[in-house]
Amino acid sequence: MKQTFKLGGALVAALLLGTTLSGAASAQTLTMGLRAGPDSIDPHWSTLGSQAEALRHIFDTLVMADENLQLKPGLATSWKPIDDTTWEFKIREGVKFHDGSELTAEDVKFSIDRIPVVTGPMSMTIYTKQVESTSVADKYTLHVKTKKPAPTLPNDFIRLFVVSKSIGAEARNEQFNSGKAAIGTGPYKFVSWEPKGDLVLERFDGYWGEKQPWQKVVRKEIPNDPARMAALKSGQVDLVNYVPATDYAAMQRDKSVDTFVADSVYFLNLTPNVKETLPRKVKVDGKEIDANPLRDPKVREAMDLAIDRKTLVRVVLEGLGRPANQLMPASFFGGSKNLPERPYDLAKAKQLLADAGYPKGFEIDFHCTNNRLPGDSAVCEALSQMWARAGLKVNANALNGTVFFPAQQKGEFSLWMSGWGTLTGEASYTYGSLVHTADPTTGLGAFNKQGYSNPEVDKLLQEGSRTMDDAKRRALFEKVTEVSMNDRALIPTVQLQTVWAAKKGMMTIPARVDQETLAYEIKPKS
Amino acid sequence: MIGFLIQRILQALLVIIAMSIIVFLGVYAIGNPIDVMIDPASDQALREALIHRYGLDRPLIEQYFIFMNNMLHGDLGESFIYRLPVLSLIWSRFPATLELALTAMMIATCLGIPLGLWAGYKPDSLSARAIMAFSVLGFSVPTFWVGLLLIMMFAVELGWLPSGGRGPVTNVLGMPLSITSLEGWSYIILPAFNLALFKLGLLIRLTRAGTIEVMSSDYVRFARAQGLSESKVVGLHVLKNISIPIVTVFGLELGSTLAFAVVTETVFNWPGMGKLIIDSITVLDRPVMVAYLILVVFLFVVINLVVDLIYGQLDPRIRVKAAS
Amino acid sequence: MSSSPAISAPAETRWVRLGNFWSDFKQSPVAVAALIVIVSVVLMAVLAPLVAPQDPYNQQTLDLFDARLEPGEVGSGGYVHWLGTDAAGRDVYSAILYGLRTSLIVGVMAGTFALVLGATVGLIAAYYGGRIEAIIMRVIDLQLSLPAILLALVLVAMLGQGLPQLVTALVAAQYAYFARTTHGAASAERRKDYIEAALSTPLPARQVLFRHLLPNALPPLIVVATVQVANSIALEATLSFLGLGLPLTQPSLGSLISNGFQFLLSGRYWISIYPGIALMLTVVAINLVGDQVRHVLNPRRSR
Repeated sequence: MKQTFKLGGALVAALLLGTTLSGAASAQTLTMGLRAGPDSIDPHWSTLGSQAEALRHIFDTLVMADENLQLKPGLATSWKPIDDTTWEFKIREGVKFHDGSELTAEDVKFSIDRIPVVTGPMSMTIYTKQVESTSVADKYTLHVKTKKPAPTLPNDFIRLFVVSKSIGAEARNEQFNSGKAAIGTGPYKFVSWEPKGDLVLERFDGYWGEKQPWQKVVRKEIPNDPARMAALKSGQVDLVNYVPATDYAAMQRDKSVDTFVADSVYFLNLTPNVKETLPRKVKVDGKEIDANPLRDPKVREAMDLAIDRKTLVRVVLEGLGRPANQLMPASFFGGSKNLPERPYDLAKAKQLLADAGYPKGFEIDFHCTNNRLPGDSAVCEALSQMWARAGLKVNANALNGTVFFPAQQKGEFSLWMSGWGTLTGEASYTYGSLVHTADPTTGLGAFNKQGYSNPEVDKLLQEGSRTMDDAKRRALFEKVTEVSMNDRALIPTVQLQTVWAAKKGMMTIPARVDQETLAYEIKPKS
Repeated sequence: MIGFLIQRILQALLVIIAMSIIVFLGVYAIGNPIDVMIDPASDQALREALIHRYGLDRPLIEQYFIFMNNMLHGDLGESFIYRLPVLSLIWSRFPATLELALTAMMIATCLGIPLGLWAGYKPDSLSARAIMAFSVLGFSVPTFWVGLLLIMMFAVELGWLPSGGRGPVTNVLGMPLSITSLEGWSYIILPAFNLALFKLGLLIRLTRAGTIEVMSSDYVRFARAQGLSESKVVGLHVLKNISIPIVTVFGLELGSTLAFAVVTETVFNWPGMGKLIIDSITVLDRPVMVAYLILVVFLFVVINLVVDLIYGQLDPRIRVKAAS
Repeated sequence: MSSSPAISAPAETRWVRLGNFWSDFKQSPVAVAALIVIVSVVLMAVLAPLVAPQDPYNQQTLDLFDARLEPGEVGSGGYVHWLGTDAAGRDVYSAILYGLRTSLIVGVMAGTFALVLGATVGLIAAYYGGRIEAIIMRVIDLQLSLPAILLALVLVAMLGQGLPQLVTALVAAQYAYFARTTHGAASAERRKDYIEAALSTPLPARQVLFRHLLPNALPPLIVVATVQVANSIALEATLSFLGLGLPLTQPSLGSLISNGFQFLLSGRYWISIYPGIALMLTVVAINLVGDQVRHVLNPRRSR
């Protein structure tokens, strides 16, 4: 390697004479090195998390979410159901768009109506699918009629970005990307962007909220983890998100950076396929058997007991996580505080396997994603090691998402692990999709590929989706959580934590559970 | 000559058609693009609707003919992910990759051929052995690994160079280029060197192998006996005789550098085409994949054509035959 | 390298030819040393189960509590991890031995198949010329334009992760280089007078192909071959880096490097650097031997 360096050094030195590097950014500019960015400047194009994160700077949403994803007023100051299928939203007065025009209920209606027309393959209609129609009651009042009682509509609307009606019905990605239609009410004005490139923003002085400390914000997309960390260390960016667990300890010791940790909404969950026959059969003593051992609750319990979650967190994630006992944080709407911590008991796991008729264990294929979420493949490998202790032979395959998701959709896996984030902060989003019986007519159980079906859970979920009363609905969803988790419809393993790192003493970054990095919430330290 | 060119163009068309079929079949074999792109909170009805909207529920052959029909009308389609015309998407990335690839090739050539000549001219000297040892490093170590070591060394430890990204650009003949300024060079030098390493190693070895061979041949002995100076011997005979394999490899490498500088572009966050194609492949953005690979195939055909023409110039014994 | 008079004695038997080859080969002490390195690396890889303190592919013998131990620390197994352990508690030394096995198999298999396929195709194109040449060379153009990662994705999606899929992807990605190189050198030779002359006599095609065209294509081919074996190993690492390599629990040298890559910035260098050194050592040795072989086989030396 030395020779490489020498040669490179000479070359570089020769070329460097007289070169000036772009120095540290001025205090007024915030340069962020982020893992991902938007696919378009049209906020209605995609549900991608990094898209929403980026465009929140330019556009405001009707309802906003605090650091723990609980609702707070946004462009709507208040909302209430006026009957079972109608919500009334009061629009904030005196809000200015970047072009100087004033926000009215017409703009909100325009925004809701254009979503089905302009949205792309990551369809925004998942947030408006409950909407039947919208009507403007007066300049600052909007009525939203829903197809069925829709208690979670305000949760869906934390992703409802409001654009100006003046851009017209024809505006598409090109007009937004060029800046022509990128007119929002947000704290920053659009300056420039290109796909996978930098998004440059400038402070909007007419913003309705508090005045912003940063004159200019640059969001650089640096998807590769080590490259992003290097960009911070070399001073090219002021902060980075998604610090990998492997770098966290070193960053904490580093005197030139501050680190910020937050719990995230992302959980790594195991899914045992409980269909009659497995797509990839298990082997006992090297021979394939037709029976599906995962249908036996004892086997699922044994696999659960064999997972040492504390070690997963402490060793594999290097402390950046929490043992999980359900699919979303217990503090979310519908999360259960009654569920106990999941124990680690290897002896009992072995006993249960023997009771189920597998005293010598079995061999099974296990699939998971690779680099979709931090630590996914490492957790995957560690799990197969833990199960080996209980006598199972688990062949762990960490697949690229491109291969994983279509195969998962086709039902090709027997046992798999994937990440899930409850982005709306309430239970029906997660449990309705993952544990309700797969039912194309109602749209429930869309991601229940494991064949789990419990009539009690289905009934509770359906009842919950109709119940407008918050307290009653909360109780119903808590019950769903408890029943499905005790059935081990899915087996939660760990809740991930996320880390930001920034130049020492420059700023404080709020710990957001949705992992969003929002310049307008980042406060400079004077 | 004209007949030869026309024949090559016809062949190129066939190759392009073959490529588009391969990509369609390949994507079909991997899975439905919607399953990769879709939001996990979507329900079955939405999934079906999207598959229908993008025409992915039609028979593959029908999808292919729709694509071919559009292509014949000059429309290569729109990206699923960006909803932008694929050609303008690719074109917007092209200058960045072009300057990176050319800089890398320049480094490889300007260093590789002289070093290889020297190593072949004095094969037993210590310096020649050092050059050879260095050349092995060029292709034995994974690019991403060397890239990170370079960043750690020059950007993090020494702080001489930026760790990634592209410098400020100025417009040259309608193309935004960064190599027009010194600051631009400070950004390009590390990734270009990283990208050049493999080619550098290969060129050193090929040049050296050819040089040793030619130096021991009869006509070099004759040339020397005739009293030609060493520089003329090397310049005339050696360079000429080692040029064929070098031109071949140069052509191949230029093509692949332009088309697939994926790893370097990822590690150095260089906004080029390689990153675009890799991102498109991982989300199965078929319109971009097809259009891009068609352009790449075209590029390779052109480069190989040029290489074949150069063969003829270098070695008059290889006559360009109409059929080849 | 040697400047001894060329050996031109007509070979009686294969053994004599091999003997000559060896006596030529051993004139370079560096090449002999490199050969010794290769032999010992291969031996160590073959005997890995006997030499390695741990079976890194057996999940039962791994312990997460041993994860990321520094070189020289003693783990729960009671022995010293001289090169440290990786994130799954694998002994890096053992993992290198086992990984070398996989990588050598992958590299050599991919390299050999690609060489044989590429050289054959290139020779055929150069020999027959005309329409056959045109078809073959355009297929090669096509092949060169197809990224290995796309091919790897298709194969993994259709057949799952595994060694054969990986080798197939690598061969498909690389044979075109051999074909292009062989074709370039052979077609230059093909147009020389003596081949034209040979072709006008009733010599069998085989003889022209193997006596004249192949030997002349050999020197650049061997250079490309030694490079490509090394490159296969590196490419395999890159595919692992992109999540398309071998299964997680059976790391090759390449996957060890790419898995350890993420630890480089955090100071845990050993997870990536030692496998990297092992890879470099092996590749350098292969290349030095390749150089000497090319030197000895050079047809012009004996003319």
